[in-house]
Amino acid sequence: MNGWIRMKNRMSQRYEGIFLILPWIIGFLLFVSFPLLYSLYMSFHNVRITGTGILHEYVGTKYYNNILFQDGGVFYDQLLPFLRQVLFMIPIIVIFSFMISIMLNQKFLGRGLFRAVFFLPVIFSSGNVIERFLSQGRGQLGFLEQFSISTALTQYLPASWSTPIVSVLNSFVLILWYSGVQILLFLAGRQTISASVYEAARIDGANPWEMFWKITLPAMMPFVLLNTIYTVVDLFTFPGNPIIASVNPTQYGPTSALIWVYFLIILLFMGLVMLLLGRAVRVTTQTR
Amino acid sequence: MAMPLIRKPFRFRRRSKLFRMSRFEKVVVFLLVLFSAFMLLPLVYIFNHAFKPYEELFVYPPTIWARNPSFQNFVELFQMTSDSVVPVTRYIFNSLSVAVLSVIAVTGVSALCAYPLSKHKFPGDKLVFATIMLTLLFAPETVSIPRYLVVSHLGIMNTYWGHILPMVAVPVGVFLMKQFIDQIPNELLESARLDGAREIMVFLRIVVPVILPAVATIGIISFQSAWGNTETSTLFMQDEQMKTFPFFISTLTTNMANNVARQGAAAAAALFMFIPNLIIFLVFQSKVIATMAHSGIK
Repeated sequence: MNGWIRMKNRMSQRYEGIFLILPWIIGFLLFVSFPLLYSLYMSFHNVRITGTGILHEYVGTKYYNNILFQDGGVFYDQLLPFLRQVLFMIPIIVIFSFMISIMLNQKFLGRGLFRAVFFLPVIFSSGNVIERFLSQGRGQLGFLEQFSISTALTQYLPASWSTPIVSVLNSFVLILWYSGVQILLFLAGRQTISASVYEAARIDGANPWEMFWKITLPAMMPFVLLNTIYTVVDLFTFPGNPIIASVNPTQYGPTSALIWVYFLIILLFMGLVMLLLGRAVRVTTQTR
Repeated sequence: MAMPLIRKPFRFRRRSKLFRMSRFEKVVVFLLVLFSAFMLLPLVYIFNHAFKPYEELFVYPPTIWARNPSFQNFVELFQMTSDSVVPVTRYIFNSLSVAVLSVIAVTGVSALCAYPLSKHKFPGDKLVFATIMLTLLFAPETVSIPRYLVVSHLGIMNTYWGHILPMVAVPVGVFLMKQFIDQIPNELLESARLDGAREIMVFLRIVVPVILPAVATIGIISFQSAWGNTETSTLFMQDEQMKTFPFFISTLTTNMANNVARQGAAAAAALFMFIPNLIIFLVFQSKVIATMAHSGIK
């Protein structure tokens, strides 16, 4: 009897997780993984929708060939500058939101209000609000032209790097708007560090500078990784980015191929981030 | 007698430290005010844009403040909506119910999935999480055609299910929540189990309150994506009765050959579209901000 209960317990322990996960898994299989696999299938086929049904005609790697080698215009001209820009924006967004969250964690008058204001961009970012706003030239900083920073940059750097830097600087306001969720995540992460650790460090004579590097930063490393991943995902799947914008829903095959190539690139990017930051996280959490 | 002698330098040092802190605080507050001005800019812009009369809507360079605010745009919008076939309230009702239901579904399902992924070992949990990470990288635009097939085969075309179900399985929600649940010490859950709490109780009474910031964040994000969603109306709804308010708004403005006409109504509609987002934000954000400090983690 006792053994039976124990066994039942172990069984339920083992499978309880699956039961809780089940609703999500079903939805996921139906609406995410099946469509994705289907789009992979479509990328090797010429898909036409006719009155009687959907016709698939196998074309092999023709579309991939087109995108990568024959007609690389769309791909290389738009993707590479975008990648360079992203390369700049990610660290800037992460560091900026980290700094803001540290500031917002201080005690001062109106802190709640400021927190709300900095979280506010979350409700702009996905809507067409920002696009409308940017299309009217409101996201740019006037001082770049005024102090001829952009001309200096184009003089000293090769054009392939100076243009993304200038555009990042130009879109600084955009960076502010992208960092709503990141600020929030950092803020929540900062709260997980208990005050007694800081108190102990203060008693041992540590100054705020040392406390930041020895306590705050190591404890926040998992959140840095989390935020970097979030930022990468956010930037790469933003509707305004050049590849997504060039998605043409009427050409099923070529579009699917383009998306899968794009996906592999993001995957590579993400793998790189995980490799670099993941190691840093492991080191810091071990030393703690 | 010795006491004041000792106390004096101590007090001096404390005061100087206090002074330094307040100076630092001043810098912080100054920077925050500066940045938050930028943060508030779009908000101010949306409100003002809706009140601009036609001659100001197309001024270049665009202005932020409306010089002669008027209700003309709203009047125009009202006139346009009053002669539509399906009453506009029907669209709004559809939108609101879809948005509210999908917020509940998304947050609930994501949290239910994230908890075992983070705290239970079961066969295939690593695989599930790896898949989530991979699918994070796909833009939702990529799967619209296969999704159409799934929805039509399930027979949920022209139902509210068709609006909600495709939106439910979002990987971002699970990902964020799992990261938060990872931070909960196992001892906390273990002690609740020792006290006899069933798994569902542990989930509802401990996990959910602790990850409330993540739940509220996902709530805000999923509300605005559901509220602003025109895709499900375009693809899955043929019945005009089942379409949503943002779809209706987009038909008002995009089907026009002349791009200038109805821009005023579009600006007013943008404000209408934005206000529920703002309300939801204001309601949820206090939950978001009341972070883990009081949740009993550390």
